[in-house]
Amino acid sequence: MLKASLSSKVDPRDAKLSMAHFYVAFTALLVGGLAGLLQVLVRSGKFQLPFGIGYYQVLTVHGVLLGLVLTTFFILGFHLAAVSKTSGTLTNKQRTVGWIGFWIALVGTVMAAVMVLLNQASVLFTFYAPLKAHALFYLGLTLVVVGSWFNSAVIIMKYAEWRRANPGQPSPLLTFMALINTLMWCVATIGVASTVLIQLLPWSLGIVDTVNVGISRTLFWYFGHPLVYFWLLPAYMAWYVVVPKVIGTKVFSDSLARMSFILFLLFSIPVGFHHQLLEPGIDPAWKFLQVILTFLVVIPSLMTAFSLFATFESFGRSKGATGLFGWLKKLPWGDARFTVPFIGMVAFIPGGAGGMVNASHQMNQVVHNTIWVTGHFHLTVATAVVLTYFGVTFWLVPHLTGRTLTKKMNKLALTQGILWAVGMTFMSGAMHAAGLLGAPRRSSFSEYGGAAQAAEWIPYQIAQAVGGSILFIAVLLMVYIFINLAFFAPKGEQEFPVGEATNQAEKAPMVFENWKLWLGITVLLILFAYTIPFIDLIQNAPPGAKGGRFW
Amino acid sequence: MAKAEMKYDTQPENEEHSSLKGTLASVFILGAILVVTWVGVYFLYLDRF
Ligand code: HEM
Ligand SMILES: [Cu+2]
Repeated sequence: MLKASLSSKVDPRDAKLSMAHFYVAFTALLVGGLAGLLQVLVRSGKFQLPFGIGYYQVLTVHGVLLGLVLTTFFILGFHLAAVSKTSGTLTNKQRTVGWIGFWIALVGTVMAAVMVLLNQASVLFTFYAPLKAHALFYLGLTLVVVGSWFNSAVIIMKYAEWRRANPGQPSPLLTFMALINTLMWCVATIGVASTVLIQLLPWSLGIVDTVNVGISRTLFWYFGHPLVYFWLLPAYMAWYVVVPKVIGTKVFSDSLARMSFILFLLFSIPVGFHHQLLEPGIDPAWKFLQVILTFLVVIPSLMTAFSLFATFESFGRSKGATGLFGWLKKLPWGDARFTVPFIGMVAFIPGGAGGMVNASHQMNQVVHNTIWVTGHFHLTVATAVVLTYFGVTFWLVPHLTGRTLTKKMNKLALTQGILWAVGMTFMSGAMHAAGLLGAPRRSSFSEYGGAAQAAEWIPYQIAQAVGGSILFIAVLLMVYIFINLAFFAPKGEQEFPVGEATNQAEKAPMVFENWKLWLGITVLLILFAYTIPFIDLIQNAPPGAKGGRFW
Repeated sequence: MAKAEMKYDTQPENEEHSSLKGTLASVFILGAILVVTWVGVYFLYLDRF
């Protein structure tokens, strides 16, 4: 039974549910990409937004659609497909729960989007108080989160069913990874749901007058950091399990992959203070503690890097590569399913290096709220993560729609990846440099009254516009490829590549599936890192902020 | 392909086929990039604050 489900395709009924998520994701990419183009043009100083549209409104569209909608919908669709493929077709009940979740999340997305487009919610994707959005914006976000919980329930139910049917067996690797990401998401979203439901929504409705800004930001970042790992782990699923199969080799180590995912579960949540290093109201000792926990994430990250290098090298050597780096030449560069995610992996190296700078308390002062930060996460989420999602799209969408990736589309896909890399090198490189010179993020073009320092930034802003325009072409190409794969590519069989472990006989230790243990440690770490500072924030709170509409 | 690999494993003279020295070099380079970036901004910090 296990064999049959492994070799088979994702059931068409499950495929439909996954695809529904991808339609939303790629619509978000198109509209959000357009907003991105407008931003770089505005910031070059050569272009002004028409019809009195505000810069913050555009930036909110961009951040919400790309940072929240594209990512979340793609991930939920990918999790479903990965679990259906490796643990078997969903039951009718599970699929119904999945559809209910999808519709709730979609209604929420539309509600929030309408409020943003009406300029009733230009509060950026972090919706920081005291910026006050229309209540429907907060309600919409809540529905997105609630919808995602239904989807999480599907993943958890399927996992539990598989374990019951296969006692004493470690779960399939992709299912295990999707489950970890789902559990992390469930624990993390408690924070954002709390601030929205307990603080922001009542305040926006006028039920309460003021809001405790420190608490709301703390709850946001309790969610916000695991959010970035929620984006990243599906990319790691592809790097650990899919890419080896695409190039024709095995997963370097099944146990190492599971171990690194567990470490991400433990260390992704109790670290939100690294986004609040320069905020008052939190004792530096607790910031220091969370910075230490942050740096522990370096361990699973380096484990991943090692494992990927080793996968590529052992593959190249099995093909007869010699010398120190001869194996690089043996990799299948003509295959977009490999090359586009590979570009993402490369981007993650400077992305990770920049992250260590951001997280170092004192050095955060050099880069805080500068456009360096924007440059940083366009390498991590907007390159490493999304190029991997695109690399997955190239085979997953045709697999789900019963079509194939043609040679021509593969070529276009490679062009897309290369354009993205070139555009991002310019845009992100310029953002990093301008940020080190003090250029602020989240601000429209300004000469700051002719200040000499601001004049230094302008050449970099031009470079950003050049890079951003190239990126926008890459976005259009990607949307074109998606539409082709979803509706027009020739009918056929496209493989869902799932790598097998090098050593099949070596079973992954069952302790990895002990959720009482791992969730227990997760909760303990969270309580340890957050309880006292949280009490502090409540007991020593300044007067609440009235807030309002500042746009 | 898996079989071929196993054959190499039993032939020590074929070390070139199982070596991970490129991986070792790669992680060292990666580590160096992390350190250089960090130290670079650290000196900028010392310079400014
Ligand atoms: C055409 C491609 C893109 C362009 C030209 C672009 C450009 C920009 C620019 C110029 C900013 C900063 C504006 C400012 O701070 O004043 C920005 C912010 C942002 N971008 Fe992009 N970007 C692109 C793609 C993406 C993608 C694919 C993602 C996510 C997956 C993304 C996520 C974000 C987020 C979350 C922000 C922060 C918004 C905020 O500060 O509130 N971007 N983008
Ligand atoms: Cu973070």
